[in-house]
Amino acid sequence: MTDSSRQRVALALAINGRRHRVTIEPSTTLLDLLRDELGLFGTKKGCDMGACGACTVLVDGRRINACLALAVMQEGRDVQTIEGLAEGEALHPLQQAFVEHDALQCGYCTPGQIMSALGLIGEGRATDAAGIAEQMSGNLCRCGAHPNIVAAIAAYAGA
Amino acid sequence: MMLREDRSPRRYEAALKVRGAARFTAEIPVASMLHAALVLSPLPSGRVGRIDAGEALALPGIVRVLTHAEMPRIDRPGVLIPLQGPDVHHAGQPVALVAATTPAAARRGAASVEVAYERRPAILNLADGEPFAPKTAGRTATDSRRGDPETALRQAEVAIGRRYTTATNNHHPMEPQCVTAQWDGERLTVLTTTQAVFAHRLAIAECFGLRPEDVRIVSHYLGGGFGAKGGAWFPHLVMAIAAARVLGRPLRLELTREQMFTLTGRRQETVQDLKLGATKDGRLTAIVHESLAPTSMFGEYADALATVTRVLHACPNVATRQRLARVNAPQPNPARAPGEGPGSFALESALDELAYELDLDPLELRLRNIAAHDQHVDLPWSSNGLRECYRAGAASFGWARRPMRPGSLREGHQAIGIGMAAACYPAYRMASEAAVGIGADGRVKVRCGTQDMGSGTYTVLAQLAAEALGMSYAEVDVELGDSLLPEGPYSGGSMATASFTPAVETAARDLRGRLLALASADAASPLAGIAPERMSIADGMIRSGNRSEPVSELVARRAPQGLEARAGAAPEARPDFSAFGFGAVFAEVRVDSDLGEVRVSRLTAAYAAGRILNPLLARSQFVGGLIWGVGMALHEATVMDPHLGRVVGTSLADYLIPVHADMPAFDIHMVEEDEPRLGSGGVKGIGMLGTVGTAAAIANAVFHATGRRVRDLPIRVEHLLRPD
Repeated sequence: MTDSSRQRVALALAINGRRHRVTIEPSTTLLDLLRDELGLFGTKKGCDMGACGACTVLVDGRRINACLALAVMQEGRDVQTIEGLAEGEALHPLQQAFVEHDALQCGYCTPGQIMSALGLIGEGRATDAAGIAEQMSGNLCRCGAHPNIVAAIAAYAGA
Repeated sequence: MMLREDRSPRRYEAALKVRGAARFTAEIPVASMLHAALVLSPLPSGRVGRIDAGEALALPGIVRVLTHAEMPRIDRPGVLIPLQGPDVHHAGQPVALVAATTPAAARRGAASVEVAYERRPAILNLADGEPFAPKTAGRTATDSRRGDPETALRQAEVAIGRRYTTATNNHHPMEPQCVTAQWDGERLTVLTTTQAVFAHRLAIAECFGLRPEDVRIVSHYLGGGFGAKGGAWFPHLVMAIAAARVLGRPLRLELTREQMFTLTGRRQETVQDLKLGATKDGRLTAIVHESLAPTSMFGEYADALATVTRVLHACPNVATRQRLARVNAPQPNPARAPGEGPGSFALESALDELAYELDLDPLELRLRNIAAHDQHVDLPWSSNGLRECYRAGAASFGWARRPMRPGSLREGHQAIGIGMAAACYPAYRMASEAAVGIGADGRVKVRCGTQDMGSGTYTVLAQLAAEALGMSYAEVDVELGDSLLPEGPYSGGSMATASFTPAVETAARDLRGRLLALASADAASPLAGIAPERMSIADGMIRSGNRSEPVSELVARRAPQGLEARAGAAPEARPDFSAFGFGAVFAEVRVDSDLGEVRVSRLTAAYAAGRILNPLLARSQFVGGLIWGVGMALHEATVMDPHLGRVVGTSLADYLIPVHADMPAFDIHMVEEDEPRLGSGGVKGIGMLGTVGTAAAIANAVFHATGRRVRDLPIRVEHLLRPD
């Protein structure tokens, strides 16, 4: 890697509706931008290889793995993370459904599960429990909260 | 059992976690901290020669490259703390640590370090190692013997002998292991992902010659553990702490997912030979269970593979024998249901095979062999709810409608199979302290230096205090995960809850007594002069007859600094009973006749595990345990290259774990038991139990669907497509 590839570049994007201007190394992933540069630790780093879904965020409404996305490619885009869901003390209804259904244990995969669920609901794919389970399978959970996660999503989506 | 709302308050820290606001270890900044990246050996055996860090040191942000030459010596026998010497014992072993100002710079530096190795011969396969007897098998004796199993086998009316194997598994909690170590002279603060703040405090103090009270370990939120954040993580934790001392600056080491295949322990593979003898009417007369598993070149660890064999079923003649062989591979360590998981696969598969030899229903075979007492230690059970588990599970599952003959049930191109297995897990306990206090604002605080891996520790600590005091759950705050707190248990062996429950309940009752005495003696209280035993506390109010006062007002007036009671509890030295949790698992699978693909469609399980503190969270724990059993049965295998000694496929795309689409319909039953003799407040522990027996139930269901007996885990498509 040459030194020029590490020259910092300017980037402007919206995160949870708020405009951010940052200068970053071009190799910085969206995940590292969120966590290391902006202190938004709600988006989790589970594998840094796009295999676990813990870093799922919405970019212009579509769900992506933030660890596989270069931050500089998000210029002008609208990024939604877990921190943008609650309104003050009031949880987003999907967050509340996760609490009610005990859809989490350690909580490390939880933000990714919630963002992924919002993405698939937005895509109109949360039609039944089996479909939700299929569509959520890129979001790994190791504690075994799966049935409760699908129940929470189905309850919120009215599926 | 119904989920009563008042017994199942929602998870204490759930709102924080669904917001993404719970701060895990790698998310806590420390001023002027450096970041570490590791240089790993590609060879499974060898000696490090010249290490050229010149190119790395020329890169921006690199502060230092540490090798065994610069690191302080740490004396810790039986544990491979990396960077203590030039010898390489497994592929993936750290040989240098790069410290840099950012994680990215550290990674670039690590990729630029050149290491020369002298290659040495390696033992890469279990079959090539020299078997030896380990000192212990988990927390149990290596070998056991009762009666005369060899003679009983020879004389048995029916006898079978089969070999079963299970694969190496990795734990893979979703949160990677992380440590941030900060030295201040001879004092040390360690933020880390640990299942054992106090055990790690003591061991770290010993490694560095410090007083335990000068070491502080913090672990507020833990993104799963399953055994990978206890002793398995310790060597690398210590390495990072030592590096921070050399660097003279705080240092963070966060493992990569790839490193979690080699640096954080593993469930050892097993080869298990099971021999069963029985009468024609299905009474077990002999069990011989012999096993071989690998350990590393430097450490000795054996899963307790035979625990279930020794106690689960009644049998007068039982011998169990465990051997290890050393290989050039990472150190194995406990993983969820260590030993009991893989061991029960062999035992409960063999029982199913025996049932078919006898042409006897597999559940009926087990019902004929319920153990009236623990024959291994010759003690009565504290309780044994196995019969009720069989009954409740079978009834709910519809077991009675199962045809005996394999291959009887079909639906389109799917062969349907039904199988079952029994389960048990020891009720372990360790010493614990806890404190319960109340402030002038009326809020209760529980303080206990244990940790919450996601198992519900925050929640049950709050519940226990609320219930014993007569306050509401919402009024309780919990502090855990810090060695500055009263000493709590480690999170492993399904023993944390059983350990702290009596300490919390004793402290809370003590506090309650002090509050009532205070009210009685306080002329300003409406309860003045009333005997404490005539008062009660409910919903934050002290009451007696028609007189009452809010607890908060009493505390504000008489103890404005607050009140706290502290208590400890320890297990019985020599209990005169044997305590186990029991269970029965019933599985339905669907096997694609053309593709051999196995899907678990239903799992019904019934558990008798003592007093259940929170049925909602307990159900989540049991389901989690069962899903680990599904993974063991159908998905999980850490594949080692037999020539290179490296893990093949080091990502979560290669190492398969059960995902949402793999989930069966779960049907969980809890048989509550009254356990007055258990000093744990009746708690037996539930985290492991769900993983015991589950793989066997699934394999037995696969046999029932297809007539194909798979004795090697994980069950794969090729097992079922292979011609007979």
